[in-house]
Amino acid sequence: MVAETLVFLIQVWLGVGALVAGAFLLIGIGQVDEDAHGAFAFRPLLIPGILVIWPLVIWRWWVVSTGRDINRHIKAAPRRSHGIVTILLMIILVGTLLISFAIHQERSINIAPVKLDMS
Amino acid sequence: MTKKELFFIGYLPVPQKLWLLFIMTFLAFFAAFIFSAWAIGLSQNDPGDGRFRFDLGRQTVSGVLETLPYPMIHVTEGSSAIDAGETLMLSGAGKFGVEPHASNLSSTSISATGIILNRGTLRMLQISNPRRNLSVVENQQSISDPLDLGRWRLVGEICDGKCYAGAMRPGRGIAHKACAELCIEGGVPPVFVTTKPVQTHEYLLIGNADGGPISDTLLEKVGIYVSLEGRIEQRGSIAVFLADEGSLEVFP
Amino acid sequence: MSVKYVPVQWNVFKFLYDFALLVIIMGFLWVFVHIIPDQLTYDPSITPQIQNMRAFGSCAFFLLTAILVIGPLARIDRRFLPLLYNRRHLGVLTCFVAFSHASFVIRWYFVFSPTDRYVALFGTNTAYNQLLGFPFESFGIFALLCLIILATTSHDFWLKFLTPRIWKSLHYLIYPAYAAVVAHIGLGTLQDQPVSIFGFLVVLCVALVVGLHLMARRCELETTDSSALHRVDAYWHALFPVQEIEEGYARVARIDTGDRIAVFLHNGKLSAISNACAHQNGPLGEGKIIDCFVTCPWHGFQYDVTNGRSPAPFTEKIATYQIRVREGIVEVDERANPPGTPVEPLNVEKEDSV
Repeated sequence: MVAETLVFLIQVWLGVGALVAGAFLLIGIGQVDEDAHGAFAFRPLLIPGILVIWPLVIWRWWVVSTGRDINRHIKAAPRRSHGIVTILLMIILVGTLLISFAIHQERSINIAPVKLDMS
Repeated sequence: MTKKELFFIGYLPVPQKLWLLFIMTFLAFFAAFIFSAWAIGLSQNDPGDGRFRFDLGRQTVSGVLETLPYPMIHVTEGSSAIDAGETLMLSGAGKFGVEPHASNLSSTSISATGIILNRGTLRMLQISNPRRNLSVVENQQSISDPLDLGRWRLVGEICDGKCYAGAMRPGRGIAHKACAELCIEGGVPPVFVTTKPVQTHEYLLIGNADGGPISDTLLEKVGIYVSLEGRIEQRGSIAVFLADEGSLEVFP
Repeated sequence: MSVKYVPVQWNVFKFLYDFALLVIIMGFLWVFVHIIPDQLTYDPSITPQIQNMRAFGSCAFFLLTAILVIGPLARIDRRFLPLLYNRRHLGVLTCFVAFSHASFVIRWYFVFSPTDRYVALFGTNTAYNQLLGFPFESFGIFALLCLIILATTSHDFWLKFLTPRIWKSLHYLIYPAYAAVVAHIGLGTLQDQPVSIFGFLVVLCVALVVGLHLMARRCELETTDSSALHRVDAYWHALFPVQEIEEGYARVARIDTGDRIAVFLHNGKLSAISNACAHQNGPLGEGKIIDCFVTCPWHGFQYDVTNGRSPAPFTEKIATYQIRVREGIVEVDERANPPGTPVEPLNVEKEDSV
């Protein structure tokens, strides 16, 4: 039941994404980025991306087209967190491997069956 | 500083010295990838000798159908590759069992047509269209009572009888776990593969202690080595393991 | 970039890069899928579909490892920067290979059944309470989803549209994706055959990724830290001696606000700009001045060092900083100017004598 719901939600997500992709590529893209004027060949390339992250697309579309995007260039990337991410990744990777080797079952065993009653 | 002279930008011509590095890097990656493919490929385990016996052709046999814990046929009239007296598990095409059609025919004599799948002493008949290839015959017979072989504790793996018998090679283990569960849920008979034979049986058809299909508790442990207690019955040529799910322990 | 978007901005280097990638990937798959089955004498042989799953799955893992190795490699030795230059094509190809792996699995393990294949994929094994026999497929699905997000948002349009901050944050997904892939392998196929060449190679790859990242981090801390680095007053930071800067190049310092500042020496005058390129936050301070413009070592974006603006027709802008020199030490005001603010370059000779 959970799985059916999940599959249904994924279909809905992709369906809405298709609508958003249509609207954004025909109308929105020209509003948010002047470099896209007259550039059509690259637009189909954006469709899969919009299907996947369409809520982000709608949000950015709204932010840019309503002129709320004043601090754009100050928004530098989070390079500061790179060190923490690296260390965290290292711990998780090593931990995962240790766990998977610890739980492993020896697959070439020969345990004799035990008869429990003597009937 | 020589390093700084080797400044690279994609749209400008590449410095001569960098070309050498690119070629070396490419060769290193190429060699590493080819070696990995070769080494991993060759170190794959043998999936066993289970296979479909298309070479024997379609087999039509008559016998008595038993549906619990899973459908099997006690052959009374054999064919070119199946002897009378043998018992075979039954499965449908793909990940289907022969249920629900078979459940109406329990304990009746039927004729069954299908392809043999076999791995060692494990034999299964795949019946692609049960509605057409499973039919009641006129000459009704009965089967002898099961023989009680006592209570046992076994260590081994629950597999779906079809993939294990060679429908998929390999058809066991963790990587194949979800597929096996899907097969068993679809009605394909599961087997318990012991690490050492019980008397002469290396494979036992497994059911619940009440004689019905296995529960979700056992299904969760498909593909894992477990220790299980239960009663073993000899039914025709097949051993049936009626396991107590309460005794289930994951083997360390 | 302020030129019309095109699907891919090709140049000779990218062609060669992609060609080399295809040769490597095709070579791997060809050996695994076509050569190996003839070498194995198993009768009957391993099912071709399962052989394909293994070939594409392991290939995707190695490619993902390569992606994660290139970054630190380029930071340790700058000569490897060109590998980074076109990494997005490697990412897209990896996504295709991983997608093929998933589709071989779905079209073999999850079909021919009464249950819909996608419902079966999510609903068959739901024993999330156990480690052994864990539904390891879920890690694979998560990793593939990450790879799809990264591949589909790799076009430069996305970088500009989403802003570098969101885009780069999104692309941090490569790290959870790699962790998920390792968990997918560790709880999945390694449980069947842990002491195997594949198991050994997985450990080796993870060790390589971990080791190189730690090494790169040490290198970076060494190059950005300077013994002279300290806070002078409320806003000003002493960075490093003027002599440490080479004409045409920069010296980078990371002040305690976390900002990285690149101080360039151009025609005997000093200018300070943000170290992060507006394109993909490449390290500008590791670039050099070509034709009066600072050129980013990652993708060649250029900026006028005196005002942080890209030459027309481009419109990129980065922050500039006020600097001064006291007793031969460069000092910077931590309050960055708005991107594109012109700052008069500091004449070293004159200031030093003050």
